Amino acid sequence: MNGTPLLALLLLAFPAVAQTASPDQSWILDQSTLTYHMSHPIHEVDGVSRAARGKGTCHAGECDFLVAVPVKSFDSGDSNRDLHMIQTTRGAEFPVVSVRFHLPQSSLTATTLDCDLEVQFAGNTAHYSHVTFHQVVEGTSHHITGTVPSTLTDFRIQPPTFLTVPIKNEIPVRVDMTWHPS
Amino acid sequence: MHRQLRPRTDPVSFALSAIGVVALLSPSVPLRAQAVPVTTATASLIALPDAPLPTMSQTGERSQQSQPRQTLPKPTDQNPQPSAPPSMSDLGFPDSQTKPDPDLQARLDRHTRMLRIHQRLGLITLAPLAGACITSAFAPPNFKKGEDNATGRNIHVAFGAASVTMYAFTASYAIRAPKVSEAPDRGGIKLHKYLIYVHAPGMILTPILGAMAYDQANNGEKVHGAASAHAAVAWTTVAAYSAAIVAVTWPIHVGSLKF
Repeated sequence: MNGTPLLALLLLAFPAVAQTASPDQSWILDQSTLTYHMSHPIHEVDGVSRAARGKGTCHAGECDFLVAVPVKSFDSGDSNRDLHMIQTTRGAEFPVVSVRFHLPQSSLTATTLDCDLEVQFAGNTAHYSHVTFHQVVEGTSHHITGTVPSTLTDFRIQPPTFLTVPIKNEIPVRVDMTWHPS
Repeated sequence: MHRQLRPRTDPVSFALSAIGVVALLSPSVPLRAQAVPVTTATASLIALPDAPLPTMSQTGERSQQSQPRQTLPKPTDQNPQPSAPPSMSDLGFPDSQTKPDPDLQARLDRHTRMLRIHQRLGLITLAPLAGACITSAFAPPNFKKGEDNATGRNIHVAFGAASVTMYAFTASYAIRAPKVSEAPDRGGIKLHKYLIYVHAPGMILTPILGAMAYDQANNGEKVHGAASAHAAVAWTTVAAYSAAIVAVTWPIHVGSLKF
């Protein structure tokens, strides 16, 4: 009988403690540079976009993030190549690349983030497991860098050819982002 | 000792069962919602947006790029919850950046298809051009040795004519390709297009001057007047044409070397 008030106190206190440790939180992508790299026997090309937008929401200790970027915002320094890229990736039909991932809220300050990514691009969805990103936290700013090991076949994209030689299948995307809690 | 089990009759359960039986046996009456006139229901259906096209949503249920799906009001939009997973509408992209445009995709496909043919024909055109350049050495008559070189001249004319014809075909695919962007050209394509102003007039002038030179040579005359510029114009044209090909290839990386 003496344990009953103590148990009731614990039951009441535990959710409060849990909520204090992981409050609901929103994150906003502040700055970003996404760079795809394309290789061809006589060409090495980088296409850069700084137009990504992102948001994250945390609830009950779990966070969901969404990052999206317009396909046509990538600039390789050659307008003809960029148009060809949009055509090849069906960027007019599917104008946005979106990336979703899920992280435990407790890991948001870790120096290494292990993410399972769901990427929608060119009308197809690819999953990348255990993609590692490095994080540097400075005040409220979370600077994240890493590379998504994407390939053309992941999204069923026909490799474009130049002088009848196709480009390499690997199109890694370097990610450099800064997030802030909102 | 064994207790005898007897079914207990619960008065509440009995009452609920009785109400259920009465309700089932009662005559069926159309519900209020079913009594709405047909015209109203049809009008509501017309007001609904079209179903998404199958070709537009290969990603399945979760595609945010399917336009009709985005226009449907979502319960979360009416009552946004801060803890709900973020959606595309939360990111605030303007419609112009997220709206699918199948017409533009069709034009891009055609644009690329035609430019790919342009590229292949352009490379093939290099062969008769090279032939014309090589045979140009055997085209003029050799007055010192008294050789007319008519055969060499005719072969050179054949290569030249083939070059001009192939060039015209090549150019036609670039000219007829649909325009897909109003943005100014950047990169190698800019120089590629500037060089048109050199090799296009060259490809018109060269055969005209060549025909004049051909007539003069066939008449046993030394090539003179405007016709004497044939070689210079031809070489300038070939140089500009080759540079136009290199321009869209630049910069060239071979292994760790960059040119």
